[in-house]
Amino acid sequence: MSGKIKKWFSSKKLKQKVRYLFLCIIGIYIILFFFVYVVFLRRNMMDYALENNYKTLISIGNNLNIELGTISSMSQLLMMDNNITSYLKERKEIDIRLSHNAVTSMYDITNSFDYVNSVYLYRFDGEYIHITKEITYVKETVMEEEAWSKDIIEAKGGYVIKINGGGAFRNKSGKPIISMIRIVNDIDTQKPLGILIINLSEDILRDSYRDMEGEDKKYYYCDQSFELVKPKEEAEELLGFVSMDKSFHQTTIGRLGNRRVLSCYPVSDTPLIVIGLEKLSFMQSLPSNTFLLLIALVVITVFSLVLIGVFISVYITTPIERLVQSMDIAKRGWLKRVSLNLPDDEIGNLKDSYNSMLVAINQLINELVEKEKTVQKAELNILQEQIKPHFLYNTLDTIAYLALQESTDRVYDAIETLGNFYRKFLNKGVKEISLRDEVGIVKDYLKLQKLRYEDVFEDEYSLQEDLMDIQVPKLILQPLVENSLYHGVRLKGEKGVIRISAFRKKNKLHIVVYDSGIGMNEEQIRKIMQVNHKNFGFRGTMERIRYYYGVEDVYEIRSVEGRYTEVDLKIPLRRIK
Amino acid sequence: MYKVMIIDDERAIRNLLRITLEKENLNLRIVGEAASGIEAINTIDTYRPDIVFVDIRMPFMDGIEFSKLAIKRYPNLKIIILTAFNDFEYAKECVGIGICEYLLKPISREEIRKTLNRIIAQLDKQFPQKEEEEEIAEDKNSMDQVKEYISDNFKNPEINLTSIAQYFGFNSSYLSRTFKQRAGIGLNDYLTKCRMEYAIPYAKKGALMYLTAKEVGIPDPNYFGKCFKKYTGKAYSEYTENELEGKNIWK
Repeated sequence: MSGKIKKWFSSKKLKQKVRYLFLCIIGIYIILFFFVYVVFLRRNMMDYALENNYKTLISIGNNLNIELGTISSMSQLLMMDNNITSYLKERKEIDIRLSHNAVTSMYDITNSFDYVNSVYLYRFDGEYIHITKEITYVKETVMEEEAWSKDIIEAKGGYVIKINGGGAFRNKSGKPIISMIRIVNDIDTQKPLGILIINLSEDILRDSYRDMEGEDKKYYYCDQSFELVKPKEEAEELLGFVSMDKSFHQTTIGRLGNRRVLSCYPVSDTPLIVIGLEKLSFMQSLPSNTFLLLIALVVITVFSLVLIGVFISVYITTPIERLVQSMDIAKRGWLKRVSLNLPDDEIGNLKDSYNSMLVAINQLINELVEKEKTVQKAELNILQEQIKPHFLYNTLDTIAYLALQESTDRVYDAIETLGNFYRKFLNKGVKEISLRDEVGIVKDYLKLQKLRYEDVFEDEYSLQEDLMDIQVPKLILQPLVENSLYHGVRLKGEKGVIRISAFRKKNKLHIVVYDSGIGMNEEQIRKIMQVNHKNFGFRGTMERIRYYYGVEDVYEIRSVEGRYTEVDLKIPLRRIK
Repeated sequence: MYKVMIIDDERAIRNLLRITLEKENLNLRIVGEAASGIEAINTIDTYRPDIVFVDIRMPFMDGIEFSKLAIKRYPNLKIIILTAFNDFEYAKECVGIGICEYLLKPISREEIRKTLNRIIAQLDKQFPQKEEEEEIAEDKNSMDQVKEYISDNFKNPEINLTSIAQYFGFNSSYLSRTFKQRAGIGLNDYLTKCRMEYAIPYAKKGALMYLTAKEVGIPDPNYFGKCFKKYTGKAYSEYTENELEGKNIWK
């Protein structure tokens, strides 16, 4: 599988590779970002929201307790008031004046406090005084029950909070009442004198969370049995999710996107439980600058990737693609140089190197072609030489003359030589023969030429016998000897010498063709190897030897003008090719 | 009876042609041979041939060059080029001159017969050449001028009786006759004498023969050697032997 992907990827073009790479990187980046968001941020967000929620609830509870504390202080003022204590302490028939004074004191004290709905002060003998702002019903039978007063007595003068006075009080308007109930003790004897009941309006509850409330946050109070203090339809539904656990606890409800935290917080020293409902919102839990930073990071990263992609495309892949397109011409066999406007960087250098390489290749090819041409031409010339009847026809005429002279031995001799010569010369088209046969060709050739030109030259041979079986390319000597005769000896007008010697020197076979002809000057020696020299035989022969042995240095010409010419063939004893 | 001259650098071929022609009985007479174009130019005035066999390939002056010169001087001369088959491209040059017959080597008697018969027929059609004896006012000075001209120009390998006659506007046989009368020596001999006299000091100094030959206007050293021996009675090398050999004073 991975091998397949690897193969697929490496078969793509560079541009596509870069494209896929970037897609891949961007993909990975997005996945990573999403993962970070989901796993870390969301968890943190949740923790943060819950913590926040908890704190809010605590502060709501504190708010309530502070208010209750204020009310408690007020109740102490009442309890210490002389008129009220006098009223409570009176053993005799209650004087109307006494009770009147006590009520007045109540008014005076309670006037400056909020939330107070009504105040009841009971003596243990059932006498009581009260003040009210709203009409309040009292069920005295409830108060007479032992259960009702049990916790109040246990509080030993501390206050106890009961909703609707534990069922003893009811506001006429139906609004809930928060009752603070406490035993009034004698300051001196610490004996209970009566019960003080302060009924507070539910505003005290609402005010405790008013500042915290909002669109996403709702708070409700309920009692120990999770009955709402103030019934509300939307809150009733929520109570279904609340586990009836009276300690602090939090649960989350709702699906993703509408996730809410539901918390229960029992307010200390009260029978009240605060239910808080808070919607989890992304923006809320995540500090906005952090969020902006994240977005900025994403944007910058994507932008950077795009920038790098564009850079790679403009400066690397596109120039390479263009270069490759131009180079493609070479595939079709056109070794043309690339002419593109490429930046002067590594890719530009690549182009320049490629171009100079092409120039070199072209040069090499040209050289090769030129060499091949020369060798082929030489081979062809040899072939033509074989077919060429000039020498044969002239010799035949010479023999014809000998025949007419009736010198039959010489005729026989000449025909035999001619036959020998042509047998070796043609030699079934074999390209390689022994030095012995090569010299044999030359001997026969010169013998026949002597018949034609009589006293023009003598031929001499100085050959090392052990070298005679070395194989050499065919017909490398005959052209040289022909040159010696026609361009050397004959032009001098005197009898000359053609001498062929063969010897070994420094691992090379030297075959020297010497003639005592008119010689050559340096200019002529130089020109003899030029391409358009009319005497092709020499150059063709040298090219053949070079090609055959793969060596450049195959000959030397030594000459004194008017005296002699000496062509020294230097043939490697071990054939390289 | 037409006069024939054979020019070929191979003696065997010259001899072969000579024997062949003699056997053919074609009413021809072989008046001379030459081993090179140079030799031919120098001797053609002596032989005055009607027909020339010339080998296309010869050193110093090849058959084509010779034919061009010869035709300029002897417009009625019949030239037969001897050529091997693969010289054909080379021989095409002759077609431009428009005077050549070809004879392919190796020589076939049949071909020779046909060619010669054709040429003889052509020659027969032509009016017999009358040597017009133009009586030109004898001028002693003019022969002196000829001598002077020869002295000045003997180094030019192309000059001979005919070219000199053409130069001075004389009939060549008239010039030949008059020159001999006045100078007591044939014009060709005089030309050779000038050349040889010039060559002798070099021979003594030991100059290479082929270079001396070129210098004096006979670039064919073989023919030069022949002339030298004929003139001095000694071979060129005999002149040189006493001296240090091979001093290259022409360089």
